Amino acid sequence: MLNYKSSIIENKKYSGLSIKEISPVMKLNLRGKSRDFLSTIGKNINMILPIEANTSSSSDKYTSMWLSPDEWLMVSNNIIDKENNNYEIGDLLFNKISKTNLGAVTDVSDQFVLINLEGEKVFDLLSSGCPMNFNKFKEKEGTVAQTLLSQVDIIIHHKKHNNVNLFVRRSFSEHLFSWINDAASRL
Amino acid sequence: MSNNLRVKSSNYIDETTIVSFKFNGKNYHGYKGDTLASALLANNVHLVGRSFKYHRPRGIMTSGSEEPNAIVQVGNNAAITEPNVRATEVEIYDGLEATSQNCWPSVNFDIGGINNLLSPFLPAGFYYKTFMWPASFWKKYEYFIRHSAGLGKSPTKPDTDIYDHKYIHCDVLVIGAGISGIMAAKIAAKNNLKTLLLEEKTQIGGSTIYQNSEKFKIDNKNSSEWLINEINEIKKLDNLQIKTRTSVAAYHGYNYLLARENLTDHLSPSEKKGKIRQRLLKIRAKKVIVATGSLERPLIFNNNDRPGIMLSSAVKKYADHYGVICGKNNIFFTNNDSAYESAISLHKKGIKVQAIIDIRENSKSSLVEEATNLGIKIYWSHTVVDTVGYKKINKISLKKLSNDGQSTTGSKINISCDCLGVSGGWTPAVHLFTQSGGKLKFRDKDQVFIPNKYPSKQISIGSCNGDFSLNDIIKNCLNSLKKFLEIENIEYENLDIINPIETEKRNIWLLPSDKVIGKTKPFVDYQNDATAKDIKLALREGFRSIEHVKRYTTTGMGTDQGKLGNMHALGIVADTTGVKMSELGTTTFRPPYTPLTFGTIVGRNVGEYFDIFRKTPMNNWHLNNKAEFENVGQWKRAWYYPVNNETIYEAVQRESLAARESAGILDASTLGKIDIQGSDASEFLNRVYTNAWSKLGIGKCRYGLMLNEDGMVYDDGVTTRLSENHYIMTTTTGGAANVLGKLEDYLQTEWPELDVYLTSVTDHFATASICGPNSKKILNKLIPELDLSDENFPHMSFKEARIGKIKCRVMRISFTGEHSYEINVQANYGESLWEHCMEAGKEFNITPYGTETMHLLRAEKGFIIVGQDTDGTMTPIDLQMDWIVSKKKYDFIGKRSLYRSDTIREDRKQLVGLLTENPKEILEEGAQIVSDLSKKPFEMLGHVTSSYFSPNLKKSIALAVVRGGKKMMGKKLFIPMEGRTINVTIVDPIFLDKENKRLNA
Amino acid sequence: MFIINCPFCGERDQSEFKAGGEAHIERPKQPTELSDDEWAEYLFMRKNIKGVQFERWNHAHGCRKWFNMVRDTSNDEIKLIYKMGENPPIE
Repeated sequence: MLNYKSSIIENKKYSGLSIKEISPVMKLNLRGKSRDFLSTIGKNINMILPIEANTSSSSDKYTSMWLSPDEWLMVSNNIIDKENNNYEIGDLLFNKISKTNLGAVTDVSDQFVLINLEGEKVFDLLSSGCPMNFNKFKEKEGTVAQTLLSQVDIIIHHKKHNNVNLFVRRSFSEHLFSWINDAASRL
Repeated sequence: MSNNLRVKSSNYIDETTIVSFKFNGKNYHGYKGDTLASALLANNVHLVGRSFKYHRPRGIMTSGSEEPNAIVQVGNNAAITEPNVRATEVEIYDGLEATSQNCWPSVNFDIGGINNLLSPFLPAGFYYKTFMWPASFWKKYEYFIRHSAGLGKSPTKPDTDIYDHKYIHCDVLVIGAGISGIMAAKIAAKNNLKTLLLEEKTQIGGSTIYQNSEKFKIDNKNSSEWLINEINEIKKLDNLQIKTRTSVAAYHGYNYLLARENLTDHLSPSEKKGKIRQRLLKIRAKKVIVATGSLERPLIFNNNDRPGIMLSSAVKKYADHYGVICGKNNIFFTNNDSAYESAISLHKKGIKVQAIIDIRENSKSSLVEEATNLGIKIYWSHTVVDTVGYKKINKISLKKLSNDGQSTTGSKINISCDCLGVSGGWTPAVHLFTQSGGKLKFRDKDQVFIPNKYPSKQISIGSCNGDFSLNDIIKNCLNSLKKFLEIENIEYENLDIINPIETEKRNIWLLPSDKVIGKTKPFVDYQNDATAKDIKLALREGFRSIEHVKRYTTTGMGTDQGKLGNMHALGIVADTTGVKMSELGTTTFRPPYTPLTFGTIVGRNVGEYFDIFRKTPMNNWHLNNKAEFENVGQWKRAWYYPVNNETIYEAVQRESLAARESAGILDASTLGKIDIQGSDASEFLNRVYTNAWSKLGIGKCRYGLMLNEDGMVYDDGVTTRLSENHYIMTTTTGGAANVLGKLEDYLQTEWPELDVYLTSVTDHFATASICGPNSKKILNKLIPELDLSDENFPHMSFKEARIGKIKCRVMRISFTGEHSYEINVQANYGESLWEHCMEAGKEFNITPYGTETMHLLRAEKGFIIVGQDTDGTMTPIDLQMDWIVSKKKYDFIGKRSLYRSDTIREDRKQLVGLLTENPKEILEEGAQIVSDLSKKPFEMLGHVTSSYFSPNLKKSIALAVVRGGKKMMGKKLFIPMEGRTINVTIVDPIFLDKENKRLNA
Repeated sequence: MFIINCPFCGERDQSEFKAGGEAHIERPKQPTELSDDEWAEYLFMRKNIKGVQFERWNHAHGCRKWFNMVRDTSNDEIKLIYKMGENPPIE
């Protein structure tokens, strides 16, 4: 009955850079400190959460990104159903983690918009508005960083060579998308 | 173009490409590779500007960014004209238009030149002293002063050029691509270090690449030949990025540097179209190598500012690099060997060098020997005492110097010339080093300040480090690089270097004339027209600190920051006061090294990107329905929805009535939402809110007030208990990020023992708030399966439901006093939710309302808005909200402060309602409130915080904070406005439905 | 602009961080037992010295974690960074 509508409608292509939104993607915020928390998550999604800073781990279905010593962002690798926002894995983890006080599981699927940047100019684009040093970051796949792009908070996931996913809070996404396109047109 | 002013020996000028440009409205030609300065000199144009104070004719003095005189306005387009550009840095292109500054009506006939004749009456501090009284005349003086002050004209229209910023991270940054910079860059890059080499000029290679003297050799090759070979080598290195036309503007702590990369200023208008003009590079370097070289010093003598008087190195560069003859009859005036290099080079090109005037008694270097052999007449121990020529120098007078260098002896010799090349030695360019926090030391031997203590991982090499001979530069540079870059084996070891050796030195900061100082004009700061006389006057008047002398005389305060004359100013102060140079210190070098355009500083942060905006999921609906927007923090929020050209007042009256009579709908998505989980969640809420939370039932909502530790109201909002250990907190729109930050702070630092996790879900949810007597019917149509009876779903409770297959959370809470529901769905369904609400509400005339109506409706109920009715000085008690402060709880944030002696005062400002005597009169927010009109000045009791005309009460209402207001119910007070006074009465702040009957209507 | 070595994320630009004032000022466990003066001491009094200072910083735009920093305010040199709850270095 309710229609799904993401904040970004158009995908764009520039020389050396293509910009697209990927949606809908399930996103869960996972919080916890204990060993039980980590093992419960591991058992239920068949993936070990990365405990090394600024890294990620992936299974065929999900990718989990390290955000802080007790916080991860877990996203579905594939696009999910627009007509239904009942995520079984979300409910399962909420029951196994939140309900048992092992930690906290929060659905943040629409908190973040996922913008994918691909092409040889990805890091040129980021360096036009982000103070972070990408020299090492871009050498290794799977690296993760939370930083600022044009004053907007972002999570960057280095998916593979010259291919990154940016997670930006939805309310900022239109502004950031426009800014990225403006920057891309000047590269 | 007068071709006889060109010599055909330059590799850097493309004589096959003629470039036409305009200067002061006249057409000229130059060659590709010329700067505006070199092209003008080739056209025999020396007079390019007027000085700031006396409007004296001024010519091109240097060949680089230190130029004080040849400051021009480039471009005549009101949007992209640029003032204060150094003609020595402007590369000419077809269609370039440049004009002189600070002269009217023209540079050749300048009315302000009368100031030159008046100059005995315009000493340092003239303006300070003259325009002080009578004070009332300042307005008149100001007009004329502002009119005559300032160099150049600002653009009057918005800049149409585009700019950009870029962050660069490197292992090694090398600033300056002279011989030492190039060697350093090569060594760094070859040792696996990611290296960036920046050069402000068009070419790399510094002054060595056009060094044509056979007396400078490296490994048996001419130094220029050797260096050009090295340049070709470094261009092949993968690890090395070279940027020319890039000037480092600022060197901050932690090796953070800002540089301006000039991308299109040298291109013709058609070539530069659509391209980024300048880029601000924000550089983080692990290590910085400063190789900024040195600036030649002028000499300070009487009338040393005439067009045609230039630095000796500039005369050489114009000939050797640009192939331009600055004069056909040259004289050099020096205190060191550099001028001999220039003289020899000119002589070898067939350009006449009449004489060299040297203040030293002799010198035995091979350069002096060569000059003598070439037959150039040398006047040892002589000084120039005067120069002649208004628009260009045509004659100099010289006299013998006394032994102590303080006076002149013998008879005056006059020699005619059309160019005088001066050299007063070299000043290391330590500007960036000192900007970074570096400390200098003074070297007496050659009277220079050189780097002493480095504040970060950096070194200075080459002549900016005080190494002036080729051998010293290379040997010292290699030694320090080895240590600095931690390299075992270094390239270039055992280079065979030959260079002439300077044997004699003599430095006199202010050269004597045959006239008394009062009758001379020895300029120290050419751009600001400060003379040695002014400095001496300042000292006589009691100024001692070099910083004070600088400000009083304006020495070094021009756009060039006194790059040429600052050392002499220091020297003259030291000599006059008898203080040692090392004790005197220097004035502060501040960024930028050369002026930056605002465009570069701002980059792309203009227009749409000036500030961040945030939008709600329903934003498009608001846009399509002609909402007016207001900025709330970074959010764009619907303000009101005008229908048929309604004013804001009319729209808000209509929206407010509709919300209370039938149904209204508000986009509340901007409210901050924090998901709170953990076994200690209830305890945590107990500690952060003033009221108690442990007993809140699952599925119930409660309003909470949050304080700072100082007891002042910080934020408020409704929090809902979703399950035993799971809450969702709402915050104010503007406070969301700060509240989350503050709560995290307490959790991590004060109460780490609490098992609580906070996650922002503000953007995850879209929130539509429907209110009014028909809201229940509308919700029933939207979610028919949800039991909306008061028993099942009472006020201040929560239900999980589904709209179709989509999960949603519904809270029955109210900020308007009406029966109302907040429906939260995942944000990407938000616009659709809104449309469904509108559709379901159609038969009830559901009316979308914006923030203005929301403010009015809550004011009718006396609900506060944190930040509007509070300002960080209001306690809950001040707000008459004692009911929300738990007496039983042992502690919560801010509790102890609520009974500090200051917070329990009865005469604090307290929140009250105000009614105007005339119910149609609407008070102004911010208006001051007084009780006694007879005593002036009025004693202010407080001010109006919120004010509206209530369509539901058909009268004006207001909230205000009034000193001791709680005890003043019914009291009549006054609001003095311009020309009239409004009578008001203090009332209870709740104006409508005090019994809350409407909540369950 | 400093480079701050976040104890969790590593070296980052200062713009990702927020400063949180003087460190090691513990919130009194029993505020109600304190006199006005004692409470005011906790609430308002901060050292703000020129020289070596203990500070709280938050990686606000990164991992959101708070940590402690020893910084020389006269030249901005960061001497040490350590986690919340760890003891300050002696001297």
